[in-house]
Amino acid sequence: MSSVSSEPLVAPARVTRRRALAVLGLAVPVLAACTTSPADDGPDPLIPLADRARADAALVTAAITADPALTPRLDPLRSARNDHAAALQAEIDRLAGPQSSATPTPAPAPAPTGPVDLAAVQQALDAAAREATGLVATLPTGRVGLVGSLAACCATYAAVLT
Amino acid sequence: MSSTQLDPEAIAALQAALAAEHAALWVYTLIVAFVPPDQAAVARTDIEAHRTLRGQIEQTLTDVGARPVSAEPAYRTPTPVTDALSAGRLAVTAEADVLAAWRSVLEQTTQVPLRAAAFKALSEGTARAARWRLATNTLPVVPPLPGITR
Repeated sequence: MSSVSSEPLVAPARVTRRRALAVLGLAVPVLAACTTSPADDGPDPLIPLADRARADAALVTAAITADPALTPRLDPLRSARNDHAAALQAEIDRLAGPQSSATPTPAPAPAPTGPVDLAAVQQALDAAAREATGLVATLPTGRVGLVGSLAACCATYAAVLT
Repeated sequence: MSSTQLDPEAIAALQAALAAEHAALWVYTLIVAFVPPDQAAVARTDIEAHRTLRGQIEQTLTDVGARPVSAEPAYRTPTPVTDALSAGRLAVTAEADVLAAWRSVLEQTTQVPLRAAAFKALSEGTARAARWRLATNTLPVVPPLPGITR
């Protein structure tokens, strides 16, 4: 083994405080901490996220049309939201199974209303990050990585566009 | 006293995240000497963030009766660090590794508090990564799916 022990970083007093802060939050009764399994029926919770991703891509396109100078800043975002929509739709289709392959393709994103500027894009990103973050606690393990990642992406974009 | 248990999968994912945090700390300590003062200040802030995460993982593993993995004495870098750009790129790589590890923690647990902690690390890490990607002109500045895509 080539590993070496790392020096303790915190004095015991700090450790106690860390414990009091419940470190990664694990000092909770196991049952209370378990995720609730979503109902077997009911619409797929990823559908609104996919719709929103498509709508955001359309919003970004409108913002670029309104002000082409925004292209270098917004084009990667449009690409990211299209990636999100595709990844979400693939997961929605996977769960729906082959018998649902006859379902219609998703409706096109509605045309944005109101002024389409950077502030509108930021607002949309904040809402997207919030919506996705709200699902992190309850999604099954196979889906939470995708949704957590896109939430982190949207939140960071909202911050860097300021 | 351990008030809860973690699945072996979650423990393994936390150990991998700890290993990535160790590596990131080594990287930042190395690159601080190569980057301009404004970036060095950012690097020091990032070091603090990674130290906090490292301490949290170590404490959590200890609390559930697992022995936290140690840091390696040194790490191999994909390319040599010789200037500000190569230093910044190494930070980009280290942050990408950390993001992948935290995403894995997120996917390996159903415990809400641990998921929340992993998601927080993923979000804050994405912001850190974006700063180094911007500084090194690594595009896109924000990866579409942090922890999945580079």
